[in-house]
Amino acid sequence: MAIMNKNYLFGSGNWKRFAPIMLLVPGVFLYLFIALGPSLATTVYSFTDASGLRGAEINWIGLDNYDEFLFQGLASRDNIDATLRTLKFSVIVTFVQFTLGLILALLLNQKLRGRTFFRTLFFIPVILGVVIQGLMWKLFLQPRGGPMATMFGWFGIESEFLGGLPGEAFNWVIVVQIWANVGVTMVIFLAGMQTINTDLYEAARIDGAGGWELFRSITWPQLTPAINTNFLLNIIGSLQAWQLFLVLVGYKPGTQVLGYLVFAEGFGQGTSPTFRQGFAAAASIVLFLLVLVIGFVANRYVNWREARYMG
Amino acid sequence: MTQTTRMAEDINPESPRALAEPKSVTVRSRQVKALSYLVLSLFSVFYIWPLFMLVNTALKSFTDYLRDPAGLPTDPSLANFGEAWELANFPQYMMNSAIYATSATVIFVLTSLFVAFPIARGYFRGSGAILTLYVVALFLPPALIPQFQLILNLGLYNTRPGFILLFLINPIGMIILVNYIKSIPKELDESAAVDGAGYITFVTRIIFPLIRPAVATVTVLHAIGIWNELILPTIYLTNEDYFPITRGLIVFEGVYGSNWPGIAAAVLMLMLPILILFMFLQRYIIGGLTAGAVKG
Repeated sequence: MAIMNKNYLFGSGNWKRFAPIMLLVPGVFLYLFIALGPSLATTVYSFTDASGLRGAEINWIGLDNYDEFLFQGLASRDNIDATLRTLKFSVIVTFVQFTLGLILALLLNQKLRGRTFFRTLFFIPVILGVVIQGLMWKLFLQPRGGPMATMFGWFGIESEFLGGLPGEAFNWVIVVQIWANVGVTMVIFLAGMQTINTDLYEAARIDGAGGWELFRSITWPQLTPAINTNFLLNIIGSLQAWQLFLVLVGYKPGTQVLGYLVFAEGFGQGTSPTFRQGFAAAASIVLFLLVLVIGFVANRYVNWREARYMG
Repeated sequence: MTQTTRMAEDINPESPRALAEPKSVTVRSRQVKALSYLVLSLFSVFYIWPLFMLVNTALKSFTDYLRDPAGLPTDPSLANFGEAWELANFPQYMMNSAIYATSATVIFVLTSLFVAFPIARGYFRGSGAILTLYVVALFLPPALIPQFQLILNLGLYNTRPGFILLFLINPIGMIILVNYIKSIPKELDESAAVDGAGYITFVTRIIFPLIRPAVATVTVLHAIGIWNELILPTIYLTNEDYFPITRGLIVFEGVYGSNWPGIAAAVLMLMLPILILFMFLQRYIIGGLTAGAVKG
């Protein structure tokens, strides 16, 4: 049985020959069992009325969950709204986080004193996780006498922040989401900038190019791989992001996004305490298709750009 | 005549034009620097202030906080830390988080090492296919619902082993390991084999030390991910004795909702281990997040 083509390497006894494959099995098995299998099974569950009760009967109900999600008049309105809100969240977060991350990286790519300090500072929220990020901002955004409220007071603005109207709370979650993740975008851009050959800048400067021209004709095209990575990561990440909503505002009507809807419906954390796992599975397939289609289009765009810039 | 003057200007460093140019460049670069500092400082306000607020609030008494939430403490004290520590069942939660993060990370790294090595070397028929399985996972639907059904029906719901089981995999971590092992020369395997090293000895004693940077990255990212996880403990654990610190903190916030000095102290205690880890291992964390991101 020639499972390995280099099995002579570590000896020839039975154990020695099969040690590599036997030691490979646990890792791969765990992966198939906990991750890949369940991931594929989501599709199957989306056609059932599975609940969260152990041993409860699971019935095949065809496309009913999808029908309920999309076409049941008023009842489906909230689901469609959540889908559209997910898109809005993603577009704003992607655009702002990308731009801010690029600006910060450009500033910190200069020879500035204290640049390590700034870089570390902007990156710290990334490793803190949603609980700390969320509670920190809940404290910062206390409507009465909190720091942001005080600052707004200087300009005569009053706001209820996270406890305000849904639209207002939603916008503050966007702010925190960007605040928390712009550090990743920044370090990826910085890593990209460090790969650019400085001779290119020298040559262009001798030709008399100014700052903007240097950026447009050298930095931007040379940064293509980092731009592509950030663009795709931001889009896909923001479509799937929802945990800050949980910590900051809870399952509040008018702020729900798809990821949160899946969790709330599936685990009785939303409007009803029942575990509607079949429906939640269908909703997560809708989200998955959204990510797939948008990711595919974005990827096509990115490849087209790459062909244009990198030849 | 004019022609000659211009040429003279270009050559003669004493000429006004030749002098003016570098000077204007330094003035401009100084302006650019000043502007950069201005923007960076403005931006950092929103990073330093919330952090400062957290410390500031944690040092206040509750009455002090109610009187003036944003102001400095009139009588700073560490009482909130002690109080939060006792009230919120903190030692237990911290211990749980540490147990989950450590055990799951150790098992994950060990099992992955023995998957990553032969795959990276192509020692199996179908190595490429196995690697593809890991890459594909990044693009598949979330496993949330069927995973829950699985754990439930195995009778592992609301148990520590069931909870740890969920953290034994990390496709991105696996890909980082495989890519790193590929950079270790293959001749090493052959010379080790000639010396008669067994497989386990070879992977743990020779390969492991060589890929330490990648192992460090994967370990830190995986452990921090578990430490910060909120959703899985919310779904899988109902027994308070099993709660990790994140879940405990959210419960604490729900109960002592307006006691911000207490919450702030608790948040700081949750933050401290991660910040310490970050200070020492920053290079590995950032390296892992940018790995492969900037190559074409």
